[in-house]
Amino acid sequence: MSDFPSSKYDRGKIFAKTGLKVGTNYAKHYLKNLRGSDKERNSEFYNQTAEQIFSEFTKLKGTALKIAQSLSIDQGFLPDEFSEVMTQAQYSVPPINRSLVRSIIKRELGRYPEDLFESFDTEAIAAASIGQVHAARLKTGEKVAVKIQYPGVRDTIASDLGLAKSLFKRFIKNKEELNDYFEEIESTLRLETDYIHEGQTINRFHKRFSTDRFETPRWFEEYSTERVLTMSFLEGVHLKEFLDQDPSQEEKNDFGQKIWDFFHEQIHQSDEIHADTHPGNFLLTDDQKLGIIDFGCVKHFPDTFFRDYLLLLPTHLERDLEKIKSLYNRLGVLKGDPETNQTEKKYFEFCLNYGFTFAMPYKSDTFNFGDPEYKDLIRGYTKNAPVGNEARGNKHFLYSTRVHLGLYHFLMKLGATVETKKSREIVEERISEKVV
Amino acid sequence: MNKITEEKIRISQSGALLYLKNPRFTMTALAEEADIKPDQIYDYFSNRRDVLDFFYKGLMLEYEESIRSIEKYAEFTLSEKLSNLALTMIDLMDPYREFVRKTYKYKVICSTQRTTFEKLFRNQLKAIYESDKNQSRLSTAFNRGPLYKAGTYNFHLLVRFWLKDESAGNQKTMEFIDKWTSFVEELHYSSILDRGFDVAKFIYYNSPFSNVSKDTTS
Repeated sequence: MSDFPSSKYDRGKIFAKTGLKVGTNYAKHYLKNLRGSDKERNSEFYNQTAEQIFSEFTKLKGTALKIAQSLSIDQGFLPDEFSEVMTQAQYSVPPINRSLVRSIIKRELGRYPEDLFESFDTEAIAAASIGQVHAARLKTGEKVAVKIQYPGVRDTIASDLGLAKSLFKRFIKNKEELNDYFEEIESTLRLETDYIHEGQTINRFHKRFSTDRFETPRWFEEYSTERVLTMSFLEGVHLKEFLDQDPSQEEKNDFGQKIWDFFHEQIHQSDEIHADTHPGNFLLTDDQKLGIIDFGCVKHFPDTFFRDYLLLLPTHLERDLEKIKSLYNRLGVLKGDPETNQTEKKYFEFCLNYGFTFAMPYKSDTFNFGDPEYKDLIRGYTKNAPVGNEARGNKHFLYSTRVHLGLYHFLMKLGATVETKKSREIVEERISEKVV
Repeated sequence: MNKITEEKIRISQSGALLYLKNPRFTMTALAEEADIKPDQIYDYFSNRRDVLDFFYKGLMLEYEESIRSIEKYAEFTLSEKLSNLALTMIDLMDPYREFVRKTYKYKVICSTQRTTFEKLFRNQLKAIYESDKNQSRLSTAFNRGPLYKAGTYNFHLLVRFWLKDESAGNQKTMEFIDKWTSFVEELHYSSILDRGFDVAKFIYYNSPFSNVSKDTTS
């Protein structure tokens, strides 16, 4: 699924080239463009088909929802009505029954939860696409979060991807290139369903980000398997609860600065980046640290791609058209000369404007993400992205875009003003490092 | 659970494992396997058949014991209780999978008499259905022997499914149990039959073609 939706949007936009093709409105728009006036009598039928496809897609559970997340579906790019539906579906998955939870723990950890833990809350505190989380207390008294994978989720990856692929291939001209996106998402999803891998990632992040500003959980390996993950419990409030408390602007800025800095600290220190930037994965702890949870989707981007991706920021700010053109060609967004090809020109113009808008936070030393004009600008570009019937853009845009846009979306919801000087230096330093 | 029952369960489980090595094992060999004195074993079982028959009854007794330790068990929904019964039984059988494969059919399904295992299993189903307060009115009318018999038969099918399940951690069996019990719950909780019954009753008493209607109005 990740596959096709991503690629559609992909073509349309600079950064998120791959992710946004899934929306019903987009599909309608695309279909209209595809069909000449002589075939307009059929367009209603096709529009309806697109709606049905999308409707069915949202009903899929497990990996299908994860794929939807991978495609930045919840990042504010789809029509409002659709985003609303998807948001509900992604974060309100019905929890699995309590007996099943008990049995899964027995099978995975060898004992029933009532024997294994001092206490175990049978009601899930969070239920998402591939698993649900329970609060528990170890015999030592430490509070932990136990993540339990839904049975059979791993088996659905191939079938869900196959289903989505077959549905969306009807919209795509360059079907072979689409496979790259599918493969990228499939490999990411397979890693996400391996909780041992996630536990090891938790350990690495815990070593990197145990500071006075960030807090990450600790992994309890002896209470974890490929399908059950136990980690220390982080107490705190998520974005929605934080905003419900009617915080001051200073408090918003502080929260926003931490998540902005976390993102750039990751770039600074390593190639490993937390790639699931949705509000449910971050919280403000009781001692005012940024708590980061859920390390299932952590990406390592190839150096070449990542350097080019970061280079987009200063290059756009410099407005050097030749450099920008060259970058987008390298990144697979442009496939020809915009001077001689109308289609390429359309994409290039969009890239120029949207890319500049996207790079704006790095232009000065502070940036106000709460500015409604900026939000409208971002939304306007995404929703009016040029669309076509071919996949465009490097497959790694899928997750780099998700991370970056997720960060922007978070900060826009928060309405925070952040200091960006240091982050700009980090980006520049990182680009230089790679050049050397 | 008292000590004697615990000991009987332990011995019968030793017997199940010994059976896989030698289906005609002696009681002396069993005593050695179970680490008790040969003469003591007759305090619990009279012969090999008794031992093997008790294995399945022992599973049910263990299940009954286990639900006492589940917090908030009384609050479980119908599907959760049915899932718990099926999943716990499969969990208990799992270490003896080969024994179950070789003996379940003739010891439980094809037994000429209803086994203690089946009696206890049906009793559990009865307890689950009769304690559930969320069933529709019409559904409760079906809380009778045939329902429990059908439930027991379903469990036999589930055991066959599990024995053929090669998925990691028996995930397919878990999925099957989850889907099946959700379906059963939906059937029993749905008020559509109640509504249908109300309509039928209304028509029966109010139809101009019904004698009952005339009798009641006169």
